[in-house]
Amino acid sequence: MSLPAELPYRHGKPLLPSLMARLRLLNPYTLVVGSVFTLLALPLVATLFYALATRWGASLTPDGLTIKWFIELWATPRFLAAFGRSILIAVSALILSLILIVPVVFLAHTRYPRLDNLMNGLILLPFAVPPIVSSVGLLQLYAGGPLPIVGTPWILIPTYFTIVLPFMYRALANSLRALDVASLMEAAQLLGASPLKAFFLVVLPNIRIGIQIAVFLAFSFLAGEFVFANMLVGTRFETLQVYLNNIRGASGHFTSALVITLFVFTLLLTWLGNRQPATEGQPVDEADDTLSGTDLTAPIHNVTPDADSRGTR
Amino acid sequence: MLATDTSSSALAIQRDDTQREGGLLTSALRERAADQHYLKLSGLAKSFGSTRVFSEIDADIARGEFITLLGPSGCGKSTLLRAIAGLNNVDAGQIIVNGHDITHLPPQRRGIGMVFQHYALFPNMRVVDNVAFGLRMKKVQPEERERRVNEILRLVELTDHAQRFPHQLSGGQRQRVALARALVVEPQILLLDEPLSALDARIRRHLRDQIRDIQKSLGLTTLFVTHDQEEALLLSDRIFLMHQGRILQQGNAEALYTRPVDATAAGFMGHYNLIGRELAQPLLGYLSDGPRVALRPEALYLQPDSSLYGLQDSQVNFPTQALPSNSGPACPGVIRRHQLLGNIVRYEVDCQGLRLNIDVLNRSSRQLLPTHLRVQVYADLDEVQALADIPAASPTAKQAS
Amino acid sequence: MMPPRLKRWITSPVMWLLPFAIIFGAFQIAPLVWVMISAFKTPDGWGLAHFHEIATSAFFRQAIGRSLEISFMSSVLGLAIAAVTCHSMHRCGPRLTRAMIAFTNMTSNFAGVPLAFAFIILMGANGMLTLMLERIGIIDDFNLYSRTGLIVIYTWFQIPLGILLLYPAFGTLQSEWREAASLLGAGRVAYWKHIGLPVLWPSLAGTLTVLFANAMGAYATVYALVNTSYNLMTIRIANLVSGDLFLQPELASALALVLVVILVIVTLIQQWLMRRSYHVTSR
Ligand SMILES: Nc1ncnc2c1ncn2[C@@H]1O[C@H](COP(=O)(O)OP(=O)(O)OP(=O)(O)O)[C@@H](O)[C@H]1O
Ligand SMILES: [Mg+2]
Repeated sequence: MSLPAELPYRHGKPLLPSLMARLRLLNPYTLVVGSVFTLLALPLVATLFYALATRWGASLTPDGLTIKWFIELWATPRFLAAFGRSILIAVSALILSLILIVPVVFLAHTRYPRLDNLMNGLILLPFAVPPIVSSVGLLQLYAGGPLPIVGTPWILIPTYFTIVLPFMYRALANSLRALDVASLMEAAQLLGASPLKAFFLVVLPNIRIGIQIAVFLAFSFLAGEFVFANMLVGTRFETLQVYLNNIRGASGHFTSALVITLFVFTLLLTWLGNRQPATEGQPVDEADDTLSGTDLTAPIHNVTPDADSRGTR
Repeated sequence: MLATDTSSSALAIQRDDTQREGGLLTSALRERAADQHYLKLSGLAKSFGSTRVFSEIDADIARGEFITLLGPSGCGKSTLLRAIAGLNNVDAGQIIVNGHDITHLPPQRRGIGMVFQHYALFPNMRVVDNVAFGLRMKKVQPEERERRVNEILRLVELTDHAQRFPHQLSGGQRQRVALARALVVEPQILLLDEPLSALDARIRRHLRDQIRDIQKSLGLTTLFVTHDQEEALLLSDRIFLMHQGRILQQGNAEALYTRPVDATAAGFMGHYNLIGRELAQPLLGYLSDGPRVALRPEALYLQPDSSLYGLQDSQVNFPTQALPSNSGPACPGVIRRHQLLGNIVRYEVDCQGLRLNIDVLNRSSRQLLPTHLRVQVYADLDEVQALADIPAASPTAKQAS
Repeated sequence: MMPPRLKRWITSPVMWLLPFAIIFGAFQIAPLVWVMISAFKTPDGWGLAHFHEIATSAFFRQAIGRSLEISFMSSVLGLAIAAVTCHSMHRCGPRLTRAMIAFTNMTSNFAGVPLAFAFIILMGANGMLTLMLERIGIIDDFNLYSRTGLIVIYTWFQIPLGILLLYPAFGTLQSEWREAASLLGAGRVAYWKHIGLPVLWPSLAGTLTVLFANAMGAYATVYALVNTSYNLMTIRIANLVSGDLFLQPELASALALVLVVILVIVTLIQQWLMRRSYHVTSR
């Protein structure tokens, strides 16, 4: 009767483990979460099965299991080339992003605090403007004129910089704020380091983990990007997503193997990004109202004890 | 100020009704008997998984009584309160209010009001709406609702803040809103779970008195949970001393304070000194018949042994206490520490290897006794309290008075 | 050695902001501005001809209508499912909750083309689920490439995003509010009506807006699924600038501007509604 009030107390030590486990399964809340979990997993599981099936006609079960589709995939030069291109583009875009964003985020947290407010507004743009809208403008602006880069990878790199900007900036800003970078810089400069030196010797090593996480998450995000790649470049520089779209005529098992490979790749990157102990269990708790669900939060880490001494070198 | 015009509560009306209808002496007597056993807890027990929170809780509470549940952290006070409110179920036992078994009623239908430690005000509602919520749920007419809300807000002195949101109020104000919200529906029983613990000392004192006044004027049967001994002693008609899920002792303040049933009760109330066999002979002059006796700190007396140190009375004005008529032998000791507790000073004295707490009135004309000073300790033998030789978690609760 | 003036100029901090400003301006702001301007460019000067065309063409009106319909349906459904899930996540074991968070983190990145393929395998004409449900007799003809099919697949990618955005908000609901309400006579329904939903309302409205914008701008999934055969705004826009037939970039800009304006209006409505509700932030 007073059941609802009991619910927060579910984590007590079970008296009879098996009985408790059974009761837990029956609990409507577990049921809901379990069903949604299943619902979300269903397309992935189906694809995985399909990728592992020898043949799957109009029956409910596959005829046999095999990994030949994966072997075939990994022996396809076009796939490997597309994979290579995707990685190349993503890495270039990330390097460019770091070069462009790090100074801005750093100055916004040391010299120009008002810049941070401006940036927090600016980084909403890539979220608010759908890629398809941007690509209309990009296609016209860079098809000819002084910078005819449509159809080449060169247009993707700066465009990708704009779409990873929001979470790169957020992640870096969070690390810097956690570091209290302004006083750290002051301390380093009092000890005789030039601003540039102080930045490279004191700040950078301390936000390394923040950068690393931002980079991995941005990477996994870019690996899944299709709209710009297809609209701006298309088959002329075929990335993985575009390749996947272009082989729609191929065997379903083969494309399934590709889908699973892509998913595992993203998974790996997400996992690498979240691996640090500092981020454990955090990402979702700080998800932001205004931004998309991509993990924009960086870990909060402490200044390492020897930070000051490092600055004196 | 705390208007008695609000005593037109359901309780009062109810009482009038029964008297009019009965009119006979017997019914009046029955009525009084029912009042004596207004809230009855019998054999209540509750476990979470394998951890037993409380068991064998028996209590009989009269109508209008103010009961304090006092006990150390984790002894099950909150859980017991929540069980009475219906927020937890119980594994065994019965809760009977005014002759009706409410053990299995949902909280909505128990007619019990509760004030939570952290207020639990609804953040999306203004103070008036928070207070009016219970009346709305009862479908009270808007005019009547407004009247009662205004009345209760006046009672808790919050009329000026009626249009504020909870986050715009101070802690004490929030707590008064919580109180008003619980009171406005005129509950049969009011439960307060450490309602004052998040407040600073001054507001705490003020609100404490306010709660007591309102409770008296409305004649509410009240259970009040606290950690604070002083609060319990000041407020309650009776105190239930809880320990490890049992009611160790119940009785009025005087009984609990002066006659603890056992070592645990003595340890919790009044900072009793427990005196074992080793000290009984030197301090009391006899071997105690029980294994343990207890002495309150104010039942011990100090005399500085100044001669030993060559201190002159003219130079240092130490307190000299008149010894009680029936004092024990002088027992030598050394002062280890002292604590200033406002009007009294509590000395910790090493006496034959045991620590004793001794309270002395703090007079500005006299100096404190310095640490390491040798003293003589005397016990007031009339105050020696024999304790039951029962381990801390006694299986049966004791009635002290 | 550099001349000192050049050196000072290079090391001046503003210098470091310049590359960022240039690239961001050129690849984020300029395209948007270009869209805004060219939308008003007509063969004979400036005007609203493209908007007029959009407003009068049944084809474009259908695209807008369908985009709005699918986005609205999928974001409401996604929000509802996400809300119920978040509520349950706060009330089931911590292990399951953690697994769910990790999983939604993963799936929120799994969208676009791969998702479309996964759905074809699951729910296409010969999809596993389609076959299974047809055998059981629950459905007799499910078409993934239809309105219903698109709503299903859109809802699927809205759920994880909704969960990620709403989960923290549900954490702010205190069990004591519910207990206090129940002691004051409120049942489950009254609690949600008077306390639960009003407290969550700002988060729900904000999340709905984000989901709606997400669906309105979605292109990859539906393109991979139906190519250009289902009439949606994003499909039309893309087709006008990169189709095989004649291209009409100005018309594309106008339609893109309509899309942006719709998103702006929705955001403004949400902000307006929020201002009228109480603010959790100032707790
Ligand atoms: N939901 C629960 N699940 C498991 N154990 C619980 C639960 N609630 C309380 N307990 C346990 O029950 C015991 C009593 O808890 P309770 O909250 O009643 O103590 P309390 O006397 O109110 O303490 P405090 O003075 O600190 O508030 C504690 O040991 C606690 O750990
Ligand atoms: Mg408690």
